[in-house]
Amino acid sequence: MTHILDTLPLTRLPAPGSYGRTGAPGVTVALREDVAAATLVARRGAGVRLADVVQARFGLTLSDGPRMAGDDALAVLGTGPGRWLTLAQTRPGLAAELASTLDGLAAVTDQSDANILFEINGPRVLDLLAKGATIDLDPEVFRPGDVAVTAIAHVGVTLWRPGEEIAYRALVARSFAPAFARFLIAGGAEYGIGWSRRG
Amino acid sequence: MRIPCPYCGARDAHEFAYLGDATVTRPDPAAPDAEDTFFDYVYLRDNPAGPHSEWWYHASGCRQWVRVARDTRTHAILGTELARKPAGDAA
Amino acid sequence: MSRLAKGGLVDRARALSFSFDGKRYSGLAGDTLASALLANDVKLVGRSFKYHRPRGIVSAGPEEPNALVELRAGARREPNTRATVVELHDGLIAASQNRWPSLGFDLLSVNGLVAPFLGAGFYYKTFMWPASFWEKLYEPVIRRAAGLGRAADGNDPDEYEKANAFCDVLVIGAGPAGLMAAREAARAGARVILADEDFLPGGRLNAESHTVGDEAGHAFAARLAAELASNPKVRIMTRTTVFGVYDGGTYGALERVSDHLAEPAPFAPRQRLWRIVAKRAVLAAGATERPIVFGGNDRPGVMAAGAVQAYANRFGVAAGKNLAVFANNDEAWRAAFDAAQAGIAVSAIVDVRETISPALTAEAERRDIRVIAGGQVIGTRGKTLSGIEVRHGGTTEALAIDTLAVSGGWSPNVHLTCHHGGKPIWNADIAAFVPGATPPGLSVAGAARGHFSLSGALRDGVQAGTAAASDLGFATATPEIPIADDAEPAIAAFWHVADSKGPAFVDPQNDVTAKDVGIAFKEGFRSVELLKRYTTLGMATDQGKTSNVTGLAIMAELTGAGISETGTTIFRPPYTPVAIGALAGHHRGKDFRPTRPTPTHEWAAEQGAVFVETGLWLRAQYFPRPGEADWLTTVNREVSAVRASVGLIDVSTFGKIDLQGPDVGAFLDRVYINGFSALAVGKARYGVMLREDGMVMDDGTTARLAPEHYVMTTTTANAAKVYQHLEFCLQVLWPELDVAIASVSEQWAQIALAGPRSRDVLARVVDDSVDVSNEALPYMGAIIGTVMGGIPARLFRLSFSGELGYEIAVPARHGETLARALMAAGAEFGITPYGTEALGVMRIEKGHVSGNELSGQTTARDLGLGRMASTKKDYVGRTMAGRPGLTDPERPTFVGFKPVDGTSRLRAGAHFLKVGAPADTANDEGYMTSVCYSPTLQHWIGLGLLKRGPERIGERVRAYDPVRGGDIEVEVCAPGFVDPDGEKLRG
Repeated sequence: MTHILDTLPLTRLPAPGSYGRTGAPGVTVALREDVAAATLVARRGAGVRLADVVQARFGLTLSDGPRMAGDDALAVLGTGPGRWLTLAQTRPGLAAELASTLDGLAAVTDQSDANILFEINGPRVLDLLAKGATIDLDPEVFRPGDVAVTAIAHVGVTLWRPGEEIAYRALVARSFAPAFARFLIAGGAEYGIGWSRRG
Repeated sequence: MRIPCPYCGARDAHEFAYLGDATVTRPDPAAPDAEDTFFDYVYLRDNPAGPHSEWWYHASGCRQWVRVARDTRTHAILGTELARKPAGDAA
Repeated sequence: MSRLAKGGLVDRARALSFSFDGKRYSGLAGDTLASALLANDVKLVGRSFKYHRPRGIVSAGPEEPNALVELRAGARREPNTRATVVELHDGLIAASQNRWPSLGFDLLSVNGLVAPFLGAGFYYKTFMWPASFWEKLYEPVIRRAAGLGRAADGNDPDEYEKANAFCDVLVIGAGPAGLMAAREAARAGARVILADEDFLPGGRLNAESHTVGDEAGHAFAARLAAELASNPKVRIMTRTTVFGVYDGGTYGALERVSDHLAEPAPFAPRQRLWRIVAKRAVLAAGATERPIVFGGNDRPGVMAAGAVQAYANRFGVAAGKNLAVFANNDEAWRAAFDAAQAGIAVSAIVDVRETISPALTAEAERRDIRVIAGGQVIGTRGKTLSGIEVRHGGTTEALAIDTLAVSGGWSPNVHLTCHHGGKPIWNADIAAFVPGATPPGLSVAGAARGHFSLSGALRDGVQAGTAAASDLGFATATPEIPIADDAEPAIAAFWHVADSKGPAFVDPQNDVTAKDVGIAFKEGFRSVELLKRYTTLGMATDQGKTSNVTGLAIMAELTGAGISETGTTIFRPPYTPVAIGALAGHHRGKDFRPTRPTPTHEWAAEQGAVFVETGLWLRAQYFPRPGEADWLTTVNREVSAVRASVGLIDVSTFGKIDLQGPDVGAFLDRVYINGFSALAVGKARYGVMLREDGMVMDDGTTARLAPEHYVMTTTTANAAKVYQHLEFCLQVLWPELDVAIASVSEQWAQIALAGPRSRDVLARVVDDSVDVSNEALPYMGAIIGTVMGGIPARLFRLSFSGELGYEIAVPARHGETLARALMAAGAEFGITPYGTEALGVMRIEKGHVSGNELSGQTTARDLGLGRMASTKKDYVGRTMAGRPGLTDPERPTFVGFKPVDGTSRLRAGAHFLKVGAPADTANDEGYMTSVCYSPTLQHWIGLGLLKRGPERIGERVRAYDPVRGGDIEVEVCAPGFVDPDGEKLRG
């Protein structure tokens, strides 16, 4: 039998459609490339002022741990001490806006083209992620709003759980996205994968 | 092996890159005996059987250098701390 | 047929058809291959490893040393599977192994006649010399004569995968102790994983006939398993062997997802390798029954007593028609009673003990079983067993039986407790090794701890489960301990019938006899670890599960040292064999590691690129055109096109690091040998960074985009390493510096444009507001602008080729568009895409160092870059680079080379010698690092490291390459072959 990996592109993202077992998909994956992103690194000694300004200007609380604040419109994810990733779905000028607002408080670096966003849902999502993630994703442990910068199947991933739902977002470097897609489809084929692209 | 990253929580050792001895400090390059002290800093290492302080870099995580206290006989992790405290609260 | 009329946990309504050595048989759902073979009266199942002796099924579990078979056919063929753990399925195909031409008649059984020459130390004594005999004679002969099954010929058509699981309490083994431990931990609220290698939970509860409370043991097990299965915090993993204990509470486990099916369900893996991280673990792995060693003990029909019992109780199979028991312990008596209860004729119980519990003898009497106390079996007969010889009370007696159930007692399955170096401890009371120090977080319960009675196992399991949960802070209620109908069994240590008839096997899988142990002893081996290696005892695929203790006990008898002092060999992972495929999972072939395409990959593929792996990246290596004979023709064309007009290459793979903050300039001064704090905004500079030991780590250009904003490039190979190094400098060495770094390697696609017409092409893609004239964007200039109608871009005037050149960075999603736009803009100039080969040729022509020269053994001075080093500041590596050994003028230093005859091919790796000097290391003067055919100069050129190289321009040296037979004279020259004065790139 030809294995499903032998049918997938090595250097491109797979085409939208169904992969693996037929019937209702156990996992659905939606790709987005339209999310503006920027890293935010606090200047030495400016952490408190930065948090105040972000709170005042964007209504977001900068977490000092791996947690997210905000929503799809504008979210900020803790990725390291004094370091965050901001994401915005309808804000193409995110990096410039942050840079001007936070001048002197944080270094802002545009990353809007650096990553591909995978929205991963479905009843078997945890079974699939367990095949690559070496962190405990039990819903009681990895709570709504939790963020993890980690590696899944040798691919660096920023993973988070946006809400109560057992559903996850994974941000993957652009050049690693095809490899990550291969992981998702190879591991999820036995549950059936619904694959789509948005934005 | 699992290493409790001070920022990320318990993570597999595969996520880290190992550097080694965290007890040595980069010497003063302006000191007259700099060549000797740098030689020791670069090459001389103790090899304790027991607790050891080591640098591990959380390459697949928060990209922080973490000082890890590890028992070299058992691989038990006795404690971890960040090399640099967060940008913080001062000023 | 030996299927009993009733009983057993098999599904008598579901017959399964299978074949063994081509013959069809029928078994039942719930059978193992072994139980189905026994049910079909198949007793001879294999030939032994060295002597090709006929062998039968010995056990009913993973310890099986004899009944190894090839499973399945074709590419799915799997050798050395234990018939005792192979779950029967409809259509199963199995074959015996290590026999020729057939199982019944094996020509190589003559090996048995030369057994004296194949004994202990055989390998060490026989094959000492001459060495050439190894390949020609010894190895082929041994491979033919000895060995086990055959590996499959084709690629494995099935998939394997890996998975991770986390829990509070991992319980290893779902026998009585494991079930109780899991139940107590789960009742306390812990997340529990219960793993068992069997397909049916229950362990020995299914093999024995005890009652728990007023319930049959197997029913009790089924009820507990059901209770656990209904708890959402419990995961029961059957067909899953926990094979290793690793650091930090990490356990390796192998789940046989599809091994019990003819082939895996669509998209399902055959096996799944689990990494389980558990805060606590309870090892409830049970115990393994040991044999007693006596002459002829390997004859098919000689079995473990507990296995006879398991076949009767669990599988409803009579292992034979007429049974005798040979034992030294009470447990075996229960096996005899269970066999009798199942309707098997039991002729005798031969027990080496003179004194037996009256309860047992009374029960034997009630069942009309003859008891031979103080007796020993001293011989066997028959191709498959037809009789035994028993010695008792000074006489010997022949008994006609077809099955001998043997028990030398039970060994706790302590294997996993040894994985962190724990040494098992001898407990003379139960004649067994019990766990010593256990890995952190792991406790042991039940028979694995030497509590062999069911009541003891249940109690121990309850306590271990409760302790694990309460240790983790879960509230535990007073547990209820089920009552079973037994007590701890008595045993008298007994290992070996010393003066018995015929070879007495200790390790039947590796054909090691008691005599071999004796030879090893006579030859001076005392340590069990040496005994193991000298005799190969316990080194087969079963890792001595049944033979280990017996072997060392016999050694202890010989030395008189006692078992406790003799000790046991240490068990290492894996507990049972793990397929390499399972360890690899999906990471095989092209998925061994991730493949990273560049932003222009699709465009390059359209252009017909041949790709090359550079690290994880796939880069265009060259772009062949129809009619080009070979890669060199193509590369020559690409180079010539660039030098004559213009070409482009994707250089996005370079590491790109954004640096921001007031201290960036000062920081760069400390990581580069040259200065960057004084670099003007809008300018780029080539930099070299060292390791602290003074060797060059990496090079690249760094540009200043704004007063507090720089962007650094690194080599493709060192991108991650340099980033890590910068973080080390910032977090560990100089935490006071206010510098923020971020990798932008993935954010920016970067394309290099090179050649005299590159400015013309660039001018057509930049927006009107951007001036790329020589004045506005001079050599080493760096500006920010827009291209292709508003797309943000960073423009750098850099050159790796020696030509006028630019690098254009755009957000990655626009990389491919930029490549197409440049192609369109350059069409009239014949713009040529070029690959990494042409890039390499041009950098050699220009005399730039690259990966071959940045070998980790070269200093900046070695590479001719010493003058860049600032003397006014400290930087990483400065002090150590100043050591005399690294500043020695005799060190090989970077220069160029060309063949004296103008035509010879140069070879990288060739060593330099003075002309006429002998080719030995004393005369070695350095080596060639990089070579290429230069289409510009139309001959081969090279770069290399030569002693005092720069002082020897014009001198001839010998380039000696013994590996490929190269030996030519080359002329030393300056490393810049093309545009040495840099007029082109400044033009």
